[in-house]
Amino acid sequence: MSCNGIATTPPHFELSQIIACHGCDLLLERLPVKPGEKLFCPRCGELLLAPKNNSVNRSLALALSGLVLFPFAILQSIMSLDTMGFENSGNILDGVLMTFRDGYWLVAAILALTTIVFPLIKLTLLFVITLNIKLDRNPDYLRLLMRGYVHFDEWGMLEVYMIGILVTIIKMHHMANIHYETGLFCFIGILAMTLGSTLVMDQEEFWYLIENGNHN
Amino acid sequence: MTKFSNHQTARSANLALCHDCHKLVSVNTEDTAVSCPRCGADIHFRKPNSINHTWALVLTALVLSFPANLLPIMQVNFMGTTDLSTIMDGIIYFFREGSYGIGLVILTASILVPWFKIIGLILILLSIRFRWQSWLKHKALLFRIIEFIGRWSMLDIFVIALLQVLVNFGSLTTISAAVAAPYFTGVVLSTMFAAITFDPRLLWDS
Repeated sequence: MSCNGIATTPPHFELSQIIACHGCDLLLERLPVKPGEKLFCPRCGELLLAPKNNSVNRSLALALSGLVLFPFAILQSIMSLDTMGFENSGNILDGVLMTFRDGYWLVAAILALTTIVFPLIKLTLLFVITLNIKLDRNPDYLRLLMRGYVHFDEWGMLEVYMIGILVTIIKMHHMANIHYETGLFCFIGILAMTLGSTLVMDQEEFWYLIENGNHN
Repeated sequence: MTKFSNHQTARSANLALCHDCHKLVSVNTEDTAVSCPRCGADIHFRKPNSINHTWALVLTALVLSFPANLLPIMQVNFMGTTDLSTIMDGIIYFFREGSYGIGLVILTASILVPWFKIIGLILILLSIRFRWQSWLKHKALLFRIIEFIGRWSMLDIFVIALLQVLVNFGSLTTISAAVAAPYFTGVVLSTMFAAITFDPRLLWDS
């Protein structure tokens, strides 16, 4: 790794006017990017900036709606099957508990974390962070919460679970009658809110507001 | 796009990018412990010990892949008889039934994606080890794909969890997870952690 010799001259820009690519470390001028536009690294192609319109308000709205639906999505029955006089239904929490009871505690723990705990933490953190930014309050723990959000973000797997529900429906539909229940619609709801919040949230802007305050 | 001359990197200008909040921080030497003035995370030029951690996790995933694929992952009890099936049996079942679409989805998520991640990461690690400097942009893209698809391998575990709850008809038929489930979960976890511990900037350093 040769980092000495080449280009040791300090940049002629203020630190606030340059950015570095997190994919290849290339230094770049911070070009003005409008909401809806994206800035990619010219060397490795990594997405660097993607400002969003009205990011804080929209994230707050989506986080709140997701939190309202959350208990119903987890505790209400997703669907019921009936075949040959037997009928049975279940919710997402049952899936975790049955796996645990069968002795597969590692699988049960990962199921609980990726489908219940992390999605719930993600929505809760987003709600608390956006509320603090909206009220222009900047408690010390806010940056810790934001760091938590950045790390938990990729461990929620609701969209993978949704595909799992579809696979299950296709697998079972000619062996039993399937009745869709409240939990399924609430689950689709929290999935939409979670995916939506990822789309409208601009982490760069959130960090900027946490550092400099929200003056508007 | 205005570029700094000679592809100047942040490190060559004594600047380090915070891993958590992406703030650029001025750093004098690599040894001193610096934390980010904005978010408080530890600042490093590169993720510490990245290559070793990634190797360890990729090799763990490789070892776990064998029991995950060869042992049965699902158990179906139908009127007193027990039927154990591996991941591949489940896929073959869908193809025999004529559900090619869903068979392809499971094949991709459970078999192609994990192997793609393991082989891709080994390729990237070897290319750093032996300083293969061609196709850098493609290797960067390969890593971004590996990061993105990581979570999708959990699909089969989710389907089994749902089936065991829904198909629970007492003496008629029940479904439960079988011995390969923890190994398979281990493969998904270790490949996801391998992608997290790897620092793609190391590709460009040589």
